[in-house]
Amino acid sequence: MLLDERLMQKVISRALEEGGDFAEIYAEKRSSTNLSLEDGKLEKCSSGLDTGVSVRAVKGRQTSFVSTDGFEEQALLEAARLAGQGVAAGGGGVSDLRLEQGGVVHPVRRQPSDMEVAGKVVLLEQADRGAREAGSEVAQAMIGYSDTVSEVLVANSEGCMATETRTRVRLVAHVVATREGIMQTGYESIGAHRGMEIFEEREPKDVGGTAAGKALTMLDSQPAPSGKMSVVLHRGFGGVLFHEACGHGLEADAVEKGASVYAGRVGETVASELVTLVDDGSISGEWGSNTIDDEGVITSRNVLIEAGVLKGYMYDRIRARNAETTSTGNGRRQSFRHPPIPRMTNTFILAGDSTAEQVIGATDRGFYARTLSGGQVDPATGDFVFGVSEGYLIEGGSVGTPLRGATLIGNGPEALMNVDMVADDFEMNIGVCGKDGQGVPAGSGQPTLRIQGLTVGGTEV
Amino acid sequence: MLDIAKKALAYAEAADVEEAEVFVTRSRSTSIKVYQKEVDELASNTGSGFGIRVFRGGSVGYAYSSDFSEESMAATAAAAAENAGVTAADEFAGLPEPPGEVSQMDIHSPRMAEVSVADKIGIAREVEAAALGFDDNISQVEQAAYNEAEATVAIANSRGFAGSYRETTCFAFTMAIALRDGQMQTGISFTTGREPGQLDAAACGREAAERAVGLLGAKQCESMTCPVVMDPFVAAGLAGVVGSALTGESVQKQRSLFAGLEGKAVASGVFSLSDDGTHPDGLASAPFDGEGVPTSMTMLIENGILQGYLYDTYSGRKDGRPSTGNGIRGSYRGMPHVGATNLRITGDSLPLRELIGSVDKGFHVSEVSGIHSGANAISGDFSVGAAGHLIEGGKLTVPVREVTIAGNMISMLKSVEAIGDDHRWVPFGGVVQAPSMLIGEMTVSGR
Repeated sequence: MLLDERLMQKVISRALEEGGDFAEIYAEKRSSTNLSLEDGKLEKCSSGLDTGVSVRAVKGRQTSFVSTDGFEEQALLEAARLAGQGVAAGGGGVSDLRLEQGGVVHPVRRQPSDMEVAGKVVLLEQADRGAREAGSEVAQAMIGYSDTVSEVLVANSEGCMATETRTRVRLVAHVVATREGIMQTGYESIGAHRGMEIFEEREPKDVGGTAAGKALTMLDSQPAPSGKMSVVLHRGFGGVLFHEACGHGLEADAVEKGASVYAGRVGETVASELVTLVDDGSISGEWGSNTIDDEGVITSRNVLIEAGVLKGYMYDRIRARNAETTSTGNGRRQSFRHPPIPRMTNTFILAGDSTAEQVIGATDRGFYARTLSGGQVDPATGDFVFGVSEGYLIEGGSVGTPLRGATLIGNGPEALMNVDMVADDFEMNIGVCGKDGQGVPAGSGQPTLRIQGLTVGGTEV
Repeated sequence: MLDIAKKALAYAEAADVEEAEVFVTRSRSTSIKVYQKEVDELASNTGSGFGIRVFRGGSVGYAYSSDFSEESMAATAAAAAENAGVTAADEFAGLPEPPGEVSQMDIHSPRMAEVSVADKIGIAREVEAAALGFDDNISQVEQAAYNEAEATVAIANSRGFAGSYRETTCFAFTMAIALRDGQMQTGISFTTGREPGQLDAAACGREAAERAVGLLGAKQCESMTCPVVMDPFVAAGLAGVVGSALTGESVQKQRSLFAGLEGKAVASGVFSLSDDGTHPDGLASAPFDGEGVPTSMTMLIENGILQGYLYDTYSGRKDGRPSTGNGIRGSYRGMPHVGATNLRITGDSLPLRELIGSVDKGFHVSEVSGIHSGANAISGDFSVGAAGHLIEGGKLTVPVREVTIAGNMISMLKSVEAIGDDHRWVPFGGVVQAPSMLIGEMTVSGR
């Protein structure tokens, strides 16, 4: 373990002497390697190590948080003193620490450190080759690789102590294709809470080739139309729509302040009966999974919406305490320098009964969003937006002309009610979710499905 | 700090490399969140670290650590040298020439440390109170926050450069929620400075409330093609995307919509854009950039004509030009990369009232969303979510939400008809000084 039990006890007690009825220490040691290749050349290779601790003291609804580098005892005790002072009025008790057991493990067959950097370079070169070989109009390929091994340790005044080593590996490809002054881009990425074995299942060459294929397709694209249309979301990437459209509004920090359209609506119908939305941080090896969350709570599967009915919210310890419930294992932080907040892990819509062909075939005129480039939501209003990097027109039940420059805009609660077909071809995708200035790995997924009446924001009226 | 940098440099130079550089930062930050007058969260961070960049046979390697022990310095230097073993050799790679004199800059205020935490909490409380007091329709303030950071930066390299500076920045931010007839609308605002005394908490709270209340009753409008007025928040977001495409690196790598357009018209004659890392009011100002090159003022687009690009040492050498002092360093964890400092939209301006008054039927945009996913600096495609008001007969009328505005970025820049006299510094899209802008024609997608 990063710190010994006695020292952690001491730090927690020190914080509570100054103030607070709950105190916590979080320690982290994170090493990572980042490589980037562009213009066919390996341009950057960097590696490094960050170590540090944060101490948190909580009194009622007030939180005081202090972080510091390293594991040196004096610095830790000083952080504890400052954290306790921040909430003053102390007196909380300290329980003996006991190590949390259980939770889903994320087996790593091949550690990143088991492969030499030169071997990792080959992965990027293969992705680059895959992109270049996809067509002569490929002008540029940017390949990025990162691996991170993070050891975390958390202990609190209630006696919870938990530790986990998290290994994540990710490969991303951005490809630019050009034709007669037109430039289009394509993107593809893979990643998991696992080791180097992910490249045995999906070759880097295919990641580059897929990104290039998207960029090349978009060279033939026409400007997207404007106005309300039926939108078919291709499996996988479309999950980000639900992440934005309702996921953020189901995080307990927005809910407890009434700053979410879903506040106070548990038990009500908030979506079409075809929609079951789940957040599950306990899927083995998945990008957004962990054995424990960043407050030491074992992660779990939480059904948020079941057949259209709102079942519950995502909680961290503090918001759960305020709401007199228990944490759902959604307390997450970017690093030891950030306080935990309620966050999604892997969030997805469950598969339905239709086939993807049926969903498209039943659409007379619509917009087929095949790859999404991310989005944004205002949880208070539910209004969301997301960019479509690869889209097509659907005419007479079949996929036709590629369309460029479209953004979809809608209102979360309305869009959920308007899901009218769900296919059986479920797939997950990976991303980095940003909130309050903190980025954390998040997975999202869904089967191909159709939403009636989203606004497509193109340039053709 | 400079001593630490020099010590680490000695380790780096001892490795088998031709050139070496050490970048060190130490920062202290505090963030205060207030909710219903009480402190919700008080967070303080102290952090420091160093990064070593080495060049060997034209290849670059990088490694970093937050551990300043001698063993760690030696291990980090060794890792940087090892990393240089796998990157491609490049004739343009290397450290910058040592500059002559580096001028000091007034970007650190001792006042920030002197103001008590209680007074800083008071700023966040004042922001919240000003928002709540603005209008009965304000149901609550979801976030009222005060944030500050003090940082020391030091760079030492094997070409003899050794420099350091200290800086302070602070800001207050808020999001107000207005509620009427079951409809919620939100509005945000912020105020920035080098020390708490420069913040205008009351104005920040009022503006957020005004923006939220102004959108009450908003609904989708019809799809249309019309003139669009972007307010400074929105114009800044657009400038940030344009600035990211105006780097020598993105042009050299064929991933800029501005590639090959130097000397050509890329915007209307009323539009100018510059990057100025020396501007006294810009929070991104510093005496030198992330590789020790003095910052400068670079004209990017002047009266519509593309003048040039932003460079760091490497991309400058590739184009046979000097670095413009735009080697940006996000933290000690990363190598420098080309990026903007303080972007400024300038040009002959119209009073804001005249600018809006000149539009018979159009759309005034006060909020955009999805810039990171909807604005593509490579293809130039631009389509983002928007909210604001219709302009009818030169006046703001019906509030509008859930629509998008779209166009091609160069076409948009070319159809800028006027810029307003309401310039202000905005922390969106980087650090940008932006006015309102009237764009002759964009597509608004709604019903």
